[in-house]
Amino acid sequence: MEPTFRILPVLENKKLGPYNKITMKDVQIYAHAECGNFVMIGLQGFDPYLSRPFSFLEGNRTSFSILLKVKGRGTELLSKVKKGDKLKVLGPLGKIFCPPKEGILIAGGIGIAPVYYQSRWMKGGVLFYGAKRKKDLILTREFKDKGFTVRTITEEDGGLVTDLLKEYTDELDGKQIFVCGTKGMIKSIKGILNKEQIEKAYVYVEERMGCGLGGCKSCAVKTFEGYKLVCTEGPIFPLKEVKFD
Amino acid sequence: MIDLSTKLGSLELQNPVLLASGVWDFPYTKIIDFKRLGGVICKGVSPFPKEGNPPPRITETHCGLINSIGLENKGFDYFECEILPELKKLGTKIFVNIFGESIEEFKEIASKIKEVAGVEVNISCPNVSKGGEKFGKDPKMVFSITKAVCGETDLPVIVKLSPSVENIEETAQAAKEGGAMAVTASNTFPGLVIDLESKRPLFKRITGGLSGPAIKPLALYNVYRIKNAVDIPIIGSGGISDYKDVLEYFIAGASAVQLGSIIFNNPLAPIEILDNLICWLGEKGYKNLKDVNKK
Ligand SMILES: Cc1cc2nc3c(=O)[nH]c(=O)nc-3n(C[C@H](O)[C@H](O)[C@H](O)COP(=O)(O)OP(=O)(O)OC[C@H]3O[C@@H](n4cnc5c(N)ncnc54)[C@H](O)[C@@H]3O)c2cc1C
Ligand SMILES: Cc1cc2nc3c(=O)[nH]c(=O)nc-3n(C[C@H](O)[C@H](O)[C@H](O)COP(=O)(O)O)c2cc1C
Ligand code: FES
Repeated sequence: MEPTFRILPVLENKKLGPYNKITMKDVQIYAHAECGNFVMIGLQGFDPYLSRPFSFLEGNRTSFSILLKVKGRGTELLSKVKKGDKLKVLGPLGKIFCPPKEGILIAGGIGIAPVYYQSRWMKGGVLFYGAKRKKDLILTREFKDKGFTVRTITEEDGGLVTDLLKEYTDELDGKQIFVCGTKGMIKSIKGILNKEQIEKAYVYVEERMGCGLGGCKSCAVKTFEGYKLVCTEGPIFPLKEVKFD
Repeated sequence: MIDLSTKLGSLELQNPVLLASGVWDFPYTKIIDFKRLGGVICKGVSPFPKEGNPPPRITETHCGLINSIGLENKGFDYFECEILPELKKLGTKIFVNIFGESIEEFKEIASKIKEVAGVEVNISCPNVSKGGEKFGKDPKMVFSITKAVCGETDLPVIVKLSPSVENIEETAQAAKEGGAMAVTASNTFPGLVIDLESKRPLFKRITGGLSGPAIKPLALYNVYRIKNAVDIPIIGSGGISDYKDVLEYFIAGASAVQLGSIIFNNPLAPIEILDNLICWLGEKGYKNLKDVNKK
């Protein structure tokens, strides 16, 4: 679907675990969004000057939401929006990906947002989900309701998602695998998957973006075929394609 | 009917609003009606592919952004086969922004560009180690490159000037003497961002190019200085965000403008600017853009 640029009113901004779930009134963008799509969201005016990329979280015919983690100044400002405030929204953006009916989702922290959105097209599978603290784990019930086996781990418990994967490595065999997390997490996951598993693994790549529309060439990610743009050729890439320094 | 048309030397544009080099690509056609624009300048093309700089390549600053893209492009052959035919379908005037690491490379690429409205010579990119701004700072080099390019093509040649000079009048004069039809004033300003985590410059190449509203007064002043010293059409570029900025550039001496970073902030800005220019001229009782400079 062609992207559009719209000014959308905020319906709600509430806490979900350590994040903000921001819901916007919209009848166009989400209705045409597919797996792999994301949106650029900004405040009106020049502060912040650039919009920021966010995954869809969920939506319906009249609204959609994103899940926002405060990282720096841009997300700090966005996290303060109130009901009725207007947001600039550009989307749906990115390359469409055809998800499997069943598969393995691996999320670290805020990485839960895109995999939750992807689960909209799935009937089940296994979710491996790591976070800092127990109370940061969100949406686990929803995943179970969708037919997923949910395996969680927290740093509080002294474990990382990679520890979970090592324990249940057989469950990954023969399935498509989707990973969303920090670069460090993705790198260590690549280190523990076997060759066959890597063949079937995909990763949600994050890079700084200027435009979201392939115009500025700022969202380049290094791959074995040279630089690729996350906003038009991603954000989902085969894990084997991406080069990690 | 209000007439927004403007002239750059012998070249007539239906309106003064151009999209700048390096900020847009074909997906923007889904948001902006390109037929309404005065024209577009495509991303810099070099004779050979350039992979661009390692990420990070962009960061926000107060009222603007700094980029370190490094002129990523797939080279002229790819441009000619894959991009140029699509550009021609856009229904607007196309200017091809060219970049070379030597006078020879500039000549080579200039000789191959055909069937477009004009060529914009980029001698002002701050984000590359060979050519770019280094050429643009030296009036003798500006003259030589402009002359070499003009010798290879019959198309109108626009020289995109670097703001990193003491006297931009000198480089504008050099471009004129080299045969340029117009100059663009100006490219991004070199700037620095420090990453507090690593306590090092954020960009691998240390500096990047600053653009957006933050640079508007500086670039506007460059236009004003050139206007008062050199008789050559000027295309204003730097921080233009709304129709008032366009008018300021016109009054300072520009005959057309380029919109760059603003389309990241508001992709509909080019169309809003055109609509608002028509409204403003109408309200003032002006019939065309020339009236803006009537006392
Ligand atoms: C396709 C995609 C989907 C995303 N989905 C989500 C999501 O659903 N929820 C969420 O909370 N975050 C998501 N992010 C990350 C989010 O965009 C960044 O955290 C945010 O841009 C940081 O901005 P800042 O100003 O707060 O941070 P700062 O660190 O102050 O940002 C400085 C600059 O870096 C850029 N930047 C910094 N980190 C990132 C990053 N990880 N990705 C992209 N740009 C970055 C910013 O755009 C800004 O220009 C996504 C990123 C991408 C690329
Ligand atoms: C991301 C980005 C990429 C750019 N790439 C080019 C380029 O390839 N060639 C060029 O001549 N100028 C390039 N520029 C400079 C712009 O065309 C423009 O002159 C400059 O950004 C100032 O205008 P602005 O403040 O409206 O953005 C680039 C600017 C940005 C922000
Ligand atoms: S964000 Fe501009 S090219 Fe990807």
